[in-house]
Amino acid sequence: MIAFSRPFWPLFFHILGGMVLFGALLTALIASLVAGQRPERPALRRAAFTALVVGIPAFVVFRIAAQVIYSDEKDVFGGHDPTWVGIGFFVTDPGLLVFLAAIGCGYWWLRSGKPLAARLVAGLSSVYILLLAIAWLAMSGKWD
Amino acid sequence: MFHITAAFLLVGGSVSAGIFNALALRAERPSETAYLLGLVRVTLPFIYVGVLGTLVFGLWLWHELHFSFGALWIWLSLVLWVATNALGGIGGRHQERSRALAEKLADAGDASTPELQALLHDRTGNAMSWLAGAATIGILVLMIWKPGT
Repeated sequence: MIAFSRPFWPLFFHILGGMVLFGALLTALIASLVAGQRPERPALRRAAFTALVVGIPAFVVFRIAAQVIYSDEKDVFGGHDPTWVGIGFFVTDPGLLVFLAAIGCGYWWLRSGKPLAARLVAGLSSVYILLLAIAWLAMSGKWD
Repeated sequence: MFHITAAFLLVGGSVSAGIFNALALRAERPSETAYLLGLVRVTLPFIYVGVLGTLVFGLWLWHELHFSFGALWIWLSLVLWVATNALGGIGGRHQERSRALAEKLADAGDASTPELQALLHDRTGNAMSWLAGAATIGILVLMIWKPGT
């Protein structure tokens, strides 16, 4: 019932923001993994950092829309948020630290070109992609 | 769940391809342009799985959730799905032509030419990719809005 009666815009921006964020992290992951084989390519560093920066507005839109939806619907849960809501908040709030760390490492890699920075970008992007995937599975499957 | 996962792969893969393509347009040397356009190919498996998954699981959900056979928003989504694929395919062929020329120039001194710049910034070729993206967003709008339900 909730899914069919939600206002359009918050849900649209929440999903679109999440999809763009996933695409941005995927780009950073591809660029940083390829850099393991072709470390001499500065274009890869620029691609990864640009992608992570693109992810920032996507994250903001995604998170604000989530809060709007939650504010409208929290009464339905009667003070006991279901598991899928908890997973969503875990991915957006503590999970934000992983995203910010990826951006920081992306900047470090852009400036220094160090292979360790590329590996950290790859690792952190992978972790956040995994968290996002768990969130979209939990939300779409309404895990309880 | 699988339908949404496929949608994430389709849109996420398209965003990734768009970022590599946008950076390739701004690259100074043809070798860099060719390399970045080559990376667009890495995103294709995500897009293909998304394209196929959205259709297969979407049709399954149509049956499972008992939406009517005449649901206009589903038919419109299917039309947009076909348009996305057609436009994306044309845009992809344009990128491939640009990549081939950039590779040729990279092997011959790595200096850009007006021909490469014209091909990279060709409005019609690039418009196809943008329109494919717009059609994908159109599908997302219809899927969330579900007009008439």
